Amino acid sequence: MEPLKNLTIRTFHEGLLDKKFKALDIVQAFFKHIKESDKKIGAFLSLSEETALKEAEEVDLAVAQDKEISILAGVPLAIKDNILINGLPATAASKILENYNASYDAFVIQKLKNERAVFLGKTNLDEFAMGSSTENSAFQLTKNPHDETRVPGGSSGGSAAAVAAHLTVAALGSDTGGSIRQPAGFCGVVGLKPTYGAVSRSGLIAMASSLDQIGPIAKTVEDAAILFHAIASRDPMDATSADPVETYGEELTNPDLQKIKKLTVGLPEEYFVEGLDSEVKKNVESVIDKIKSLGLSFKKISLPHTRYALSCYYIIMPAEVSANLARFDGIRYARTKNSEFRIQNLRDIYLKQRGLGFGAEAKRRIILGTFVLSSGYYDAYYDKAQRVRTLIKRDFDEAFENVDVILTPVSPTLPFKIGERTDNPLSMYLSDVFTIPVNLAGLPAISIPVKSTASHQLPVTNLPVGFQLIGKHWREADILGIGQYYEKLE
Amino acid sequence: MASPINKQTLEHLAELARIELNSKEEEKLLKDLQKILDHFKELQELDTANTPPMSGGTDLQSVFRGDDERSSTNQGSGKDQFPETRDGFLKIPPVFE
Repeated sequence: MEPLKNLTIRTFHEGLLDKKFKALDIVQAFFKHIKESDKKIGAFLSLSEETALKEAEEVDLAVAQDKEISILAGVPLAIKDNILINGLPATAASKILENYNASYDAFVIQKLKNERAVFLGKTNLDEFAMGSSTENSAFQLTKNPHDETRVPGGSSGGSAAAVAAHLTVAALGSDTGGSIRQPAGFCGVVGLKPTYGAVSRSGLIAMASSLDQIGPIAKTVEDAAILFHAIASRDPMDATSADPVETYGEELTNPDLQKIKKLTVGLPEEYFVEGLDSEVKKNVESVIDKIKSLGLSFKKISLPHTRYALSCYYIIMPAEVSANLARFDGIRYARTKNSEFRIQNLRDIYLKQRGLGFGAEAKRRIILGTFVLSSGYYDAYYDKAQRVRTLIKRDFDEAFENVDVILTPVSPTLPFKIGERTDNPLSMYLSDVFTIPVNLAGLPAISIPVKSTASHQLPVTNLPVGFQLIGKHWREADILGIGQYYEKLE
Repeated sequence: MASPINKQTLEHLAELARIELNSKEEEKLLKDLQKILDHFKELQELDTANTPPMSGGTDLQSVFRGDDERSSTNQGSGKDQFPETRDGFLKIPPVFE
């Protein structure tokens, strides 16, 4: 049988059609591999073996009967545990949702079920997707498959580690300030954060609603494009999901090199500054030469408000968190039966359940959000941050008058050690400094691993480094297109 | 300049957010929040008097749906997730004492 590490969505589909293997054999092999190896990695929080095997058998039956199948039929996927799959646990890695089972499918899950994709299980994350290392999970640590003493990044660390350790073919994550791209970069896989509004948020446990987007994590840019194409759609259940996605077509998965060559890439001076690790810098610069060799031109640009993005984000996001997490009241999705507390008063139940159910980072953000929205501080913090958000978005609008895409590092450092930043929230927040502005502006961006080539070697530590391509609104095709041609270079 | 947040405001915020904190959590949280709020001061360097606030993730305009009758969501399965029920009702403690 095909070694699991060779499987991409494309090769799985071709193998299935050529009858080289059955979907059931592959899915069983993945579960065997997960049971042997995930004790070390800690990528999965729960598995859905029974339904996965049944789904795979049905796909095999369709293939045996020569019925037409989708490119995603039978493809094993891992899903971040803040995305709902009907009947399966959805904990968001929080104690407050420890006993919660989803009562409906997220819109993206409905779309993938229609394509007959197979869900292996739910992956670990920072609690409610709040963090950059997956260390904020209430349940377990996830380790970086390239170096188990280091973090996989976060918050979609479970999904990124599962793809990197070949525990799945591909995965879904969610990205509010870098939570798909940063772990993809740390784990040496591809992660796409779509344009805000391209993918429905219905059935995603909300963190910060004006910033959250679901997106794919995969081994290749092509696979990310295939998954993105399958999940992007207008959905009446998400009022911010938008119509332009209906124009997405073939160019996502089958880009035209003649068109790609004509694109101009911007290099923002604010992203190549002090604080950028020299290994990261060297690696990202090697990508510039590679992309030049495809025929694209480069231009220096400026995004002058970049340095304010972190403060802006850490006001707006907690404000939205404090509202979104108010629904976890200890009654509707309680972790402990309230009668066990012997409290007969509603207010005290809220205090107790939320005090015990939320971890330190969730509490920090809820209280910070409550503060920036509170009377007397609203103008100085929340309103100010929303105005600064406009300035950050305008920087991009102006830059995109002269360039088509923007190339930057994903994170200023290589994957850091487990425990290294847990005591200092500000140092943890800094690992998202290059990804946050993209969410504030609502743009699409992709994280792609830097290739090791004859002329360029990866860092001596052998840790992966990612680079980021940022596109114009609704122009995922540009960044996916460049990525797919970069991937093919020797 | 004194931090806009002190022990007393923190306790008030925790009460507003309905989160019970123990004294150790309170101490760490206060230090973290003071540091984070101090970092936010940099925003005051920017003149934003004539910049409109961006109030969401999108430039889309509000759309309205028709006021049509339609079947509701899957209330039944939502109810199954409720930890305590009796005779189809959801069990909670009294709201008024």
